[in-house]
Amino acid sequence: MAYSGHDEVDPYAYDRSYHTGDPNQDFGYEQHYQPGKSYIVPEEIKNFLLFFQRSVSEGNVADISTCYEHDFNKLSERFFKNSPWPDAENIIQTVGNDQVFLILYKELFYRHIIARTQSGPTQEQRFESYYNYCNFFNYILNADGPVGLQLPDQWLWDIIDEFIYQFQDFCKYRSKIANKSDEEIAFLRTNPKIWNVHSVLNVLHSLVDKSNINAQLEMYGKGDDPDLLGGEFGRHPLYKMLGYFSLIGLLRLHSLLGDYYQAIKVLEYIELDKQTSYTQVPTCQVTTYYYVGFAYMMMRRYKDAIRSFSSILLYIQRTNYMVSTSGSYQIDVVKKMNDQIMNLLAICLVLHPMRIDEGLQAALSEKYGEKIQRMEKGEPQAFDDAFSYACPRFLSPVPPNYDDPNFNFHKEPFTLQVKVFMEEVEQQISIPTIRSFLKLYTTMPISKLSAFLDMSEDEFKTHLLCFKHKMNSLVWTKGTSGLEGEFQSGSEVDFYIDKEMVHIADTKVARRYGEFFIQQIHKFSELNKAMKTKQQLANEDFSGGQRF
Amino acid sequence: MDFEEMEERIAQMMTGINRYNPENLMTLEMYVNMQCRENKYDLEANLAVLKLYQLNPMHFKKPVTALILLKALTNLPHSDFTLCKCLIDESYQMEEPITTILHIAKLLEMCKFKEFWVEVDEKASLFLDLKDFNNSIRKYICHVVSITYQQIDQVLLSDLLGSLTEMELQQWIKAMNWKEMPDGYIFINNQEENVKTKNITEKIGFDNVSSVMKLCRS
Repeated sequence: MAYSGHDEVDPYAYDRSYHTGDPNQDFGYEQHYQPGKSYIVPEEIKNFLLFFQRSVSEGNVADISTCYEHDFNKLSERFFKNSPWPDAENIIQTVGNDQVFLILYKELFYRHIIARTQSGPTQEQRFESYYNYCNFFNYILNADGPVGLQLPDQWLWDIIDEFIYQFQDFCKYRSKIANKSDEEIAFLRTNPKIWNVHSVLNVLHSLVDKSNINAQLEMYGKGDDPDLLGGEFGRHPLYKMLGYFSLIGLLRLHSLLGDYYQAIKVLEYIELDKQTSYTQVPTCQVTTYYYVGFAYMMMRRYKDAIRSFSSILLYIQRTNYMVSTSGSYQIDVVKKMNDQIMNLLAICLVLHPMRIDEGLQAALSEKYGEKIQRMEKGEPQAFDDAFSYACPRFLSPVPPNYDDPNFNFHKEPFTLQVKVFMEEVEQQISIPTIRSFLKLYTTMPISKLSAFLDMSEDEFKTHLLCFKHKMNSLVWTKGTSGLEGEFQSGSEVDFYIDKEMVHIADTKVARRYGEFFIQQIHKFSELNKAMKTKQQLANEDFSGGQRF
Repeated sequence: MDFEEMEERIAQMMTGINRYNPENLMTLEMYVNMQCRENKYDLEANLAVLKLYQLNPMHFKKPVTALILLKALTNLPHSDFTLCKCLIDESYQMEEPITTILHIAKLLEMCKFKEFWVEVDEKASLFLDLKDFNNSIRKYICHVVSITYQQIDQVLLSDLLGSLTEMELQQWIKAMNWKEMPDGYIFINNQEENVKTKNITEKIGFDNVSSVMKLCRS
């Protein structure tokens, strides 16, 4: 994302001072466009398209990047804030019948509509966008040899991401049959293949197969050159990256369907503990660790979930992503996910307290302290709220019953996942209370502790077994497969029972004096410096005063 | 066809997009029955069955789903049961025998083993098709006991394991490498070594101090 130098060197032949400054004139462009009517493409747009087209055909990735990430958005902002870009027929006269460019253009065209239309795209637009993706993937997958196209990684990731997003959105749209016309329902009924879950899976799997990405990742993990196994297609960056992003796409899709095992399984050759090794696309990184952590959380592998969440939060912090790319279309995505991940991390830490990075811990306590307290007190609603906010938008993969809206095969998939999670929380709900009591002692007879907790001894022993069972979970230790692991008790407070006595082991953290002192020393030195400069200034003033 | 052959055939069936082919269902369902008969287990294949039901609701078979859930219980303490639950539509979870199985799972997850054995006695017909179901669950119970106890009352242990005969209890104690003590307790594990208080003390590294030392010069 190197924009530097971009403004000095003007690659386009059109005027780059975006706003004319005349609101009427700017507004006028938006008014020009009327769907269905012939539309005169403004000169600047024409020039942009021609430059864009030339960059694509020359395979100049840096220029494509600029057009895609920068100029398209700027021009959208100026010309098409409340209206779509000119449709493909209208730009043919400018760019000619360049099929590949038209497919790419339409990808942006529909994405722009979907992002800007409050009420959502029409059924027809959804279908057209689907066909356009099919054309794109067919072009790439059905070729005899690798196609010559080159696109920036960010765009390739966005294509996979958007493809799944539109599928997700379509499923939601399809399930609401109450507010559809008979015509629309009839069309949905007769076109079951459009945005079908099998087609979506098929695309992602085909890209994975074509690129040989798993074999490549395996080689890469061993420290060998992945190109050796990539084959004709896999060596080509377009195929390789689409293959990689499709794996992340599958991770997401499986998670949206509640299939957490398969979600982690598709990543079996990706080394999750080595972060930025394969791709530099931040939105892809954040998506990966959000879904991985979420799947771990649902599998009750809290330690793995906490590790995934912490590492991506630190990554966002370290790369200063939310500050540096302000204004970019990706920032909202990362911001929202950052907040969701913080919520999930809070949940996991309540269920499985352990030490994490101190900065993160401080940020959590500051921003989510109240929520955390409510969860620690065992308020089910607090868990429910945090989960509902932070979970992915689950989807139902099958069409609703068009004949009888009241009788559906599928209930809202979201409620199922909430229910499963809340049942887990319910099973663990007394653990935090027991933990808070255990923390106070090093040894204690069962009879006494059970009396403190107002339980019978038998009941208390059962709770203690449950405590141990729930806090003992699989933890990943080595290898690329995220499903592997060994059983560990990694939580803060641990204990064992010997005959009728509980022996407790706590994690004691000594107060950190060093850091405090170092900070104070620095502050003091700053103060000292400030005073010295003040004094110097005062002296100069004084001597200055004497001179005149 | 013996189990190993079948396992291999299924593994091939599961590769790539073929995992979602509804034509595999017949074979996969047979395979579930085979796992029950022979006390074998294949989570991935079973999840594939549930996945196919999710994508093709008209093929849903409740008895197979029930078997898959019960098999998932035999693999506790792993969280397989939860993974299965996430794929089964909520409306089916409100129907018998799934509701009962969910209840049983909850008892096991919360380690209410005594209640669990009462339930198993009452609903014996549910488990008829599963070879060695009770012993698989006992393995899980032994696991939880072995991470919790250093020494446990023999009577309590026997209760947790579902009122075994003296002989059976002895067999489990032997199999788990536990030791009977003269005072009526069973020695499970030396936990003192596993469960220790951790002290995290601050380590001040050279890097931390060096920034301060710089100030001394000025």
